[in-house]
Amino acid sequence: MKKLIRRCPFLILLASMGILFSLIGLGGRNNIYEGQEYDPLKKPVLSAVFTAMKEGIYPWQIFDQGSAPVMALEESSGRGDQADRLSGESDLSGQADTTGEETMALSGGEEGSAGASAQGGAGSQGSISGNSLEKEGAESKTGADREEVSVSSGEKAAEQFVSGNQLGKRDPASGTKTESPDSHGGSRQPQADAPQIPQGRLEPLRESTREEYLNHISADIYGDAGVMRAAQYEFSQVDESYFDDALFIGDSRVVGLRDYTDLSEHADFYCETSLTIQKMLKENFSGKGTVEEALSENEYGKIYIMSGINELGVGTTENFMEQYTQVVDTIRAAQPQAKIFIQGIMRVTGKKNSSDAIFNNSNINARNNAIATLADNKQIFYIDVNEAVCDEEGNLNAEYTFDQLHLLGKYNDLWKQFLMAHGAVDAPPQD
Amino acid sequence: MVSFSGLEFLFRLLPIFLLLYYITPQRHRESVLLLESLIFYALGEPVYVILLIVTTAFNCYFGMKMWRPGNGLSIYERPNRRRRNFFLCAVGMDVAVLALFKCMAVFVDSALFPLGLSFYIFKMISFQADLYRQEIRERPGWKQAALYFTLFPQVESGPIMRYGEGNFGAPGQCSLEKVEEGLMCFAAGLGMKVLLADRLAILWNDLQMIGFQSISTPLAWLGAAGYSLRLYFDFQGYSLMASGLMVMLGYPYIVNFDHPYASRSIAEFYRRWHMTLGTWFRNYVYIPLGGSRCGRKRLILNLALVWLLTGIWHGNGFNYLIWAGVIGIFIILEKLFYGKYLQKAPAVGNLYVLILIPLTWVIFAITDIKQLGIYFGRLFPFLGGPGIAVNPGDISRYMRDYSAYFIFGIALCVPAVTRFFREHKSHPLMVLLLAAVFWLAVYIQSNSAGNPFMYLNF
Repeated sequence: MKKLIRRCPFLILLASMGILFSLIGLGGRNNIYEGQEYDPLKKPVLSAVFTAMKEGIYPWQIFDQGSAPVMALEESSGRGDQADRLSGESDLSGQADTTGEETMALSGGEEGSAGASAQGGAGSQGSISGNSLEKEGAESKTGADREEVSVSSGEKAAEQFVSGNQLGKRDPASGTKTESPDSHGGSRQPQADAPQIPQGRLEPLRESTREEYLNHISADIYGDAGVMRAAQYEFSQVDESYFDDALFIGDSRVVGLRDYTDLSEHADFYCETSLTIQKMLKENFSGKGTVEEALSENEYGKIYIMSGINELGVGTTENFMEQYTQVVDTIRAAQPQAKIFIQGIMRVTGKKNSSDAIFNNSNINARNNAIATLADNKQIFYIDVNEAVCDEEGNLNAEYTFDQLHLLGKYNDLWKQFLMAHGAVDAPPQD
Repeated sequence: MVSFSGLEFLFRLLPIFLLLYYITPQRHRESVLLLESLIFYALGEPVYVILLIVTTAFNCYFGMKMWRPGNGLSIYERPNRRRRNFFLCAVGMDVAVLALFKCMAVFVDSALFPLGLSFYIFKMISFQADLYRQEIRERPGWKQAALYFTLFPQVESGPIMRYGEGNFGAPGQCSLEKVEEGLMCFAAGLGMKVLLADRLAILWNDLQMIGFQSISTPLAWLGAAGYSLRLYFDFQGYSLMASGLMVMLGYPYIVNFDHPYASRSIAEFYRRWHMTLGTWFRNYVYIPLGGSRCGRKRLILNLALVWLLTGIWHGNGFNYLIWAGVIGIFIILEKLFYGKYLQKAPAVGNLYVLILIPLTWVIFAITDIKQLGIYFGRLFPFLGGPGIAVNPGDISRYMRDYSAYFIFGIALCVPAVTRFFREHKSHPLMVLLLAAVFWLAVYIQSNSAGNPFMYLNF
């Protein structure tokens, strides 16, 4: 054996490491590597060790107790901390409650403090619906009514939504331009023309199927009720100074907005290539720190989020929505005064759309339909830049991009103009 | 196409191929390797594998007919008309096949061009020419000839080995030492491809994504330098992997690159870059035309023809002709005027190569002529104007993201550095380093396999 090692040390080293990694991969298959894809023809079992590493799951965790939920535990305790910190800083004014609640559910009550803070706020469960279209909506809902809508809203909202949808005029998937705010002049008045759009957060109409999950299809489980509701808000034209107290968070598309428009002279940008909604709050942006730190150090008037293209093909619409909701709620809790702008994921070109099983516009639209439901048109808004950069078929205009995905530097100005046309300015108090 | 750096090759095909090969008795190994090579090619080109088989069969047939032992005294025997006809027939057919598919690729759809065709057809032509010139001493069996054309390490992208270099029919023993040596070459090549070339490729992709109008001049130069390094490590990495595989299979090592960026003239650069292709053009085009041993006019004509063919061979766009034309012109100028001064002034020569070659690679890279003009406008803003929506600070961001790749890449272009690695290759630290490189590459490939957007994150 010694002789053999002397003759071909590299071969022996590689072979033994290969065997070791394979054994670890095999050993963890029903355990820490459960979530890793394995394809006997294309992906060797050892690659699970490496794909997991990228997600922060390391081989030695195989020996941890109850190793299956390693990640879940880690995550939830992390969230617990975060919720603690944030709720400690914010004034527990009702908006923080949702975060607390969800944290409690996730951490299984193991963290006394998180649980306690959630309990403390549990009395005002209706806070979300409290944010909903009070002025515009069909009025006179009592607090109790509202609570009912939002807490048990499932079927009810769905029913309402379906009926609203049947009355709806627009084709949900076509991506045609939403009516411009001007043409929608009446949107601030009682909703006679768009009846029964439910308030509060909408519930999905159905669940993603296993087939959809396996084929990386993002299911359109919400329909366009959220998008329709969001479009009822009348946005205002603003100038650049509007962005002086704005924060932009997002992926490489937002990097383009930062680098190729002058918005970065006004707003803070926390964005980087390959950012996902999951990483959004904790990611350390080089030279800047995390979004959480930014939120605790500064006070923002507007916070713009765009994320979702990197997450396509990973998980289901439900997973994405769950994470997105958490991020929005966490931001909301940290900066209750800030207006949150959920930006719809920018679509891809027709060429990409028709050739890519994952990065296509039906997946993007499905996820946009989901996150649009988070908008309450009061503190949380949904805006869709696709209106400004897509062609008649609803695909990203091929002239605006080289790689079918990102705006060429100079076309980021279209996005900036779109943002300036979609400012949310509080109406002067009505006497 | 089956990529050497992909997981399916590294952990599925390669171990199976090697094991089958090693457990086969020596006398049947060529058959096994031939079969494996055809399977390998068919996995990448399930339809055109038929073309490979047909052209291989034809070339074997004509080759067998033409072979005649050299008498050792004169290389060129009085040509025999029958042999000459066979030769012309074989080469004519090879050229016709290549030309046909080239035309289809240019005028119809570039997807119609079969994988590796320009490489294996060049091997076939080389084989016929060497046979005709009686430079092959041992009569090749059909199996050896077929193996030479289809060898899986070389069939997709070369190196364009000559038949005589392959030691066919008398393969060296596969020893553990050879496997070790080949594997180290392979790992080094894998590292160059995955850790350097593929990373630097993202830089170029980013520039295209931004749009050339909007990149700053420093970034345009960084992009040109990055593309130059990326192209080198992509191809050199590939060549190292291919040659490493050949060594593991018991064949000789074929050199394809010899630190080209350390050259002092364009002509020297192309003697050290993709050497097997350069040698091919020299042996089968340039020298038969008279080489440099004829008048000035003829020399210029010969060089121009060689570079015209080189341009056509490299791609289907008009930009490849411009690229080859520019290089041809510089080589002619060097040959006629200032080449000898460059060799005498090392720093000047090096600088000349390091500025000129990246510019020629930009022509090579950008197939759209209008975009090419825009890029040169950004490289030389006094020609192209100020650009549109340029972010003057972009260079700092890219320097931050890519400086590590540039530092390692540039270091590996220095002959002394690679010499140091080669001389200490059996040192335990070097073995560990190379193993780390291998597994790091596997880590990256695991996380990008079947998932291109992990590799090009948005």
